[in-house]
Amino acid sequence: MLVNKKSFVLKSAMLIATGMLLASCGSETPKEDNLSTGTDTTAAEASVEVEDVSYSLPSPLQIASIFKKSGLKYKEGITSTLKDPSKYTTNVSKALNLGVYSADLSYTVLNKQNQEAMNYMKLCRQMADNLGMGSVFDQGNLSKRFEKNIGNEDSLAYIIAELQMVTDMYLDENDQQEVTSIVFAGAWVESMYVGSKVYEKGKDKSLNSKLAEQMTILGSIVNALKVQEKKDAAIGGLIADLQGVKDIYDGLPSVKDHPEANDDTEKEMSLTDDEVSTLTTKIEAIRTKIING
Amino acid sequence: MKKLFYTGLLGLFFVYGFTTIQTTDNCDKKTLTASCKKKMEPYKYDSQKFTKIMFQKKTQQLEIEVPVFIGEKYRLVFNTSSLPKPVQVNVYTKDKESKKREAIYSSKPGENEIVFDAPRVRKLYVDYDVPADSTNQKLSGCIVFMVGYK
Repeated sequence: MLVNKKSFVLKSAMLIATGMLLASCGSETPKEDNLSTGTDTTAAEASVEVEDVSYSLPSPLQIASIFKKSGLKYKEGITSTLKDPSKYTTNVSKALNLGVYSADLSYTVLNKQNQEAMNYMKLCRQMADNLGMGSVFDQGNLSKRFEKNIGNEDSLAYIIAELQMVTDMYLDENDQQEVTSIVFAGAWVESMYVGSKVYEKGKDKSLNSKLAEQMTILGSIVNALKVQEKKDAAIGGLIADLQGVKDIYDGLPSVKDHPEANDDTEKEMSLTDDEVSTLTTKIEAIRTKIING
Repeated sequence: MKKLFYTGLLGLFFVYGFTTIQTTDNCDKKTLTASCKKKMEPYKYDSQKFTKIMFQKKTQQLEIEVPVFIGEKYRLVFNTSSLPKPVQVNVYTKDKESKKREAIYSSKPGENEIVFDAPRVRKLYVDYDVPADSTNQKLSGCIVFMVGYK
């Protein structure tokens, strides 16, 4: 009886250990496991997708900061009207509007609009929850620290930058790099909308050249989205819309007449008021489409 | 019998632990990110890019395009310490298709933590020159690249 009991325990222990061995093979870095089995090299290498060219897009906070330095003032009522994040049902519309809220959050923080900033922070959190990544707001008590530091612009900007860092890490770890590009596309559209609306009022020269400069990164945004298009076909519509803006910009006389085109010159470019107006109309249409979901 | 049982159990746990170590690469992103963040001060965090490097029988050149803005100061920080073999990091002002491009930064041999304050340019192109690996060991690792501004 005693022998049978020991035999049972031994068998159970071996079964558990075997199970753990199998589990370790199945759960840890599956792509690398393919490579370590000594199978055909070409087939194994083909199973890992490494893009030859990738893109490191800036943060919405940096865009807001550049506009702020150029003299962009706060204008009430131009940021997105606070909506219920649950109305956005697709991943693309959720990510785009997270970008819109992120841009508005940065704009309101840098312009010391405390209550508005609090509202946008809450909306960003809700939208992130909808995307299944709300937990990033709890890392390092970011949400609480934001509330605690309200009124302190530098601290809030630092917290937003930290939030960006943990979000970037979360999306990479969960193989959701496409979300990063879509969120930034939404933020870029909102930042350009806000910038052009403020420009309409004051016709500030410095702001004009910053709006033109922002157009030079549109090609990188479009290319970054194209790399990710195979993960979500719905990105195609966004690419077409942004490419439409780029085509308009590339066809503007100020751009065509500019020496060495966009990428090669350090000189700041400026657009005519009519040209800004043409771009604003197109960007406004895309922004409306994004906000309406 | 009791001794045999415990020896067997210990052996199995050893095999389990060994297998786990072998199937996990050294890319501890949190630690690498924290290290880059430290080197980024006093610049503000802007973005970061993790690049998985799978060494192959042929050399590879992986490129990251980094749009930057006039008047902003940028710092680029890299951590390559998780790589099993050195990878050359170069920074250019033009992409790899351009014949006119020149390197504005090249990493030195043995450099695992790289800090580069970029000059005033319109765009930056980061290239990883990955050497070939003919050992058939399926080597892999990652590079963490962080961008900051002020």
